[in-house]
Amino acid sequence: MKDLVRQKLSIHVDVMDLLNKQIEQEAHSSSAYLAMASWCDHNALSYSADFFYEQAAEEREHMMKIFRYINDNGGTAYSPEVGGVNHDFKSLEEIFENALDQEIAITKSIHNLVGKCRKVNDYTTEYFLQWFIAEQMEEEQTMRRALELFDLMGTEGLGLKLLDERIPKIRNKNTE
Amino acid sequence: MKVLHQSQFFISYQCDKQRCFFIKFPHKTIQLGFCQLLAFRQQVKEIDLEAHFNGQNPHGMEMLMLCNREHFFIFNTLESIDLKEFITGTFAMLELNSLLTTSV
Repeated sequence: MKDLVRQKLSIHVDVMDLLNKQIEQEAHSSSAYLAMASWCDHNALSYSADFFYEQAAEEREHMMKIFRYINDNGGTAYSPEVGGVNHDFKSLEEIFENALDQEIAITKSIHNLVGKCRKVNDYTTEYFLQWFIAEQMEEEQTMRRALELFDLMGTEGLGLKLLDERIPKIRNKNTE
Repeated sequence: MKVLHQSQFFISYQCDKQRCFFIKFPHKTIQLGFCQLLAFRQQVKEIDLEAHFNGQNPHGMEMLMLCNREHFFIFNTLESIDLKEFITGTFAMLELNSLLTTSV
């Protein structure tokens, strides 16, 4: 009997399911960053707001990368539903803590995907995911740098204002 | 045409010549391309069996549209349970075939 599945699909079916779950997670992450951007905008933290708008766009790019990968390789990508986005935050520090937790969750999910690829010998997807592993490492570093600023500068009055102004610089530390 | 998997109500076949799949339902047989089979699998995966028993789906019916809305099916609770097993079994057989083809 011919291997029709392999003729039509370059990805393992179980890996495709996990990639679709990853699409959901990236979409949720993008929406969560938008909510954070909105909170920052309303609290006069304009640099942080811009940072989270960019983060939201970036997460959407990640989602689209996976979306296209699935469809380009014969699978079916499903447009994700996003619900349960939190809009209530106590402080900017809490927002960055949430952002770091979110990035860690995505990293774990990507690692889990790579593990599955190895298990089922889906080397094509494993290769595709290498970019995401490096990207997640950078994302985590960025969020940690932001949290280090809170330790350094505090979270009240002028300190918070100065901290907000430093936020655009935390992203590009590695590339400078 | 070769049988892939048979459950209580359904049978799946693979046709090498036409490079497609067939599913025999109790009252008719339909032809599916691989993408359509994947879409069918997704719809079956989304069936919430728990809702049949906790009152959220009191009529116990599932409605599925297949192959770009060419076919419309209504399944009762027993058929829905069987359908889930059937899809899992069909894809397990397809994977087994892939493994055998690769190792030969």
